[in-house]
Amino acid sequence: MQKRLSSPIMKIALYAVLIVVAATMFVPFLWMISTSLKENQFVLSMPPEFFPAAPTLESYQQLLELLPFGRMIVNSFIVAISVTIGQIISGSMAAYVFARMEFRGRDVIFLAYLATLMIPSQVTIVPLFILMRYLGWINTYQGIISPMVFTAFGTFLLRQSFLTIPKDLEEAAFIDGASHWTVFWKIIMPVSRPALATLAVFAFMQAWNAYLWPLFVTNDENIMTLPVGLALLHGRYLTEWNLVMAGAVVTIVPMLIIYLMAQDYFVKGVVTSGLKG
Amino acid sequence: MKKTFAFVIVFALLTSTLLAGCAGEPEVITETIIETVVVTEVVEQEVIVTEEVIIEKEVEVPAEPEDVTLTYFTFSAAPDHLEDLDEMIAIFEAEHPKIHIEVQTATWDDYFTKLQTLIAGGEAPDIFELNYENFVSYAAKGVLLNLEPFAQADPAYDETIYYPRALEAFQYNEMQLGMPETFSTVVLYYNKDAFDAAGIDYPAENWTWDEAKEAGKAIMAANDGMWGIHSGIQFWEFYKKAAQNNCEFFNDDQTEVLINSPECVAALETMLSLLDEGVMPSNEEMAGVSDGDMFTNGELGMLVSGIWMFTAFENAPFNWDIQVEPGMETQATHFFSNAVNVFAGTQNPDAAYEWVKFFTSDPNMAEIRINTGWELPTLDNPEYVAGYLAQSPPDNRQAVFDSLQYAIVPPVIERQNEMTDAVGAALEQAVLGILTPQEALDQAKIDVEALLN
Repeated sequence: MQKRLSSPIMKIALYAVLIVVAATMFVPFLWMISTSLKENQFVLSMPPEFFPAAPTLESYQQLLELLPFGRMIVNSFIVAISVTIGQIISGSMAAYVFARMEFRGRDVIFLAYLATLMIPSQVTIVPLFILMRYLGWINTYQGIISPMVFTAFGTFLLRQSFLTIPKDLEEAAFIDGASHWTVFWKIIMPVSRPALATLAVFAFMQAWNAYLWPLFVTNDENIMTLPVGLALLHGRYLTEWNLVMAGAVVTIVPMLIIYLMAQDYFVKGVVTSGLKG
Repeated sequence: MKKTFAFVIVFALLTSTLLAGCAGEPEVITETIIETVVVTEVVEQEVIVTEEVIIEKEVEVPAEPEDVTLTYFTFSAAPDHLEDLDEMIAIFEAEHPKIHIEVQTATWDDYFTKLQTLIAGGEAPDIFELNYENFVSYAAKGVLLNLEPFAQADPAYDETIYYPRALEAFQYNEMQLGMPETFSTVVLYYNKDAFDAAGIDYPAENWTWDEAKEAGKAIMAANDGMWGIHSGIQFWEFYKKAAQNNCEFFNDDQTEVLINSPECVAALETMLSLLDEGVMPSNEEMAGVSDGDMFTNGELGMLVSGIWMFTAFENAPFNWDIQVEPGMETQATHFFSNAVNVFAGTQNPDAAYEWVKFFTSDPNMAEIRINTGWELPTLDNPEYVAGYLAQSPPDNRQAVFDSLQYAIVPPVIERQNEMTDAVGAALEQAVLGILTPQEALDQAKIDVEALLN
């Protein structure tokens, strides 16, 4: 295998394949950026212009006039960061209990909790909405955030990771008089940093891209998150693609930066959970 | 162990107080504001007593007791006409200083899902937009306020200012459950340059589909890379072309489904012949590009579409115009209308009626709509028509109103969406050649019958 790969012809072939695959992933991104720099009448011109003849930032300007996009970016960050922190706290605490504490019915509860993963969110959306109304949380940040904080997925991911930590570590601590809290905070959490980072990345991405729930629970443009605002750009009959693409660029850039910073954890996340975000 | 439980309980308590705090705060603030308002009113009255009589009269004029905020949920404003809507609201609020309109908006794709959730969740907007096809489902569920008593109590109300057809469209069981806001028609768009290149006459008002097909062939022969015509094969086009061939979906009292009658089958065959004879691109051949975009790109000689496409075609690099859609045995055209409706459970029906009246009949509203191309107000007023006709492109705007003569409304049943899906699925089978037109409509008859019972 090693020998074959090192032969120059194989290498060239391999790179050719990789370049083609990379291009299929990358071209839509470039097209998005290119479209966002065009004027509307050139968006669908034939033959397609890959590099706009007259690039303009007009669509970005229009975007800012049409919707409070700056506010929406801030909202998206508030929601995504709160959900991430919330999921880490709730997930890790629940995971610790399920992984380390012995009590009757634990596994049944855990299975029941996991089973909630099977219920599509569309089913629960109306009851959830009614619940939020009773709490007076329609059109509020806590209304968007709270349902996204508790996920069986996060608990499951962290529980599996906690189970791999050798018990000897904490037994030594218990002998020295540590409480569950100390063990959780001082031993389990620091050791599980990679798993926590993976969950953080997933949670952030999920909250950043969340559409249906934020759409339902917000009416006010000043509370809306980016994906909801972006959807408002689609007309019933017409869509100004340059505007939509400019909005998409604005939405994707923060994710891109986070991705580049946390690339390792994304890869690890895919490996450990078998899921792609 | 005990410690941990104690911690959990403390944590839970803390969170609930924190969250309760978040929820509670705004309410407290509103209450205080109301109190302050009351206080100032009292102070004003006291001042008035000591002052001149004239001032006292001026203060008495506004009869409404307190400020009212109404929520208005719309799909037609986003994204291009939000500013125009704001402009209208500013005029309305200037005329009605006690009423405030709060706009909520969603795009067409999400609008009805969200509206259903809002109503089911008890957060229904006071006023919302409905198009005709969805109107019946909402009317049947009893969530719409009857506006008739409000109109009758209003001396300024005059029903003759609306197009009667539009007003009728939003009546249900002899109740006026919505007021028509806008209408649009569907017309035949054609690329003038393509017709010139082929050396044939422009479409005439009383064209048949066979004539359109022949013109399409001539266009394809004379213009490289151009298709003749596009007119989708789906539920909406089908019920219209069915009507052009005197086919009815139902008998008069909707007890029998007639969708597989020979007239209906012939109408579907005419539609499919455009595909079979290669005048119209198939979905695969369009490869995801919309018919409107193909027309703008000069890849289509003719297109059947709504007048809402005027703005999209404004900058097309060729000359184009419109004509009344071709027919078969007779002419029939689409008539689409949106209405504003009031939620039956609103706290402020009188104020809501004021907005409905303004938004459907005020001259300022009509002027803004016409000038910005935000559909057409349903007001039968020659002045507005003249203003609309004076604009260009297209030159032949008269066709928009000519089409109205042949306007039909879609067949509507209570389970409308399911019927649309069932008939749509049958048509698709016919397009794919899995079923013959007769078989497809036989299938549609069985499916629709199941929905009637």
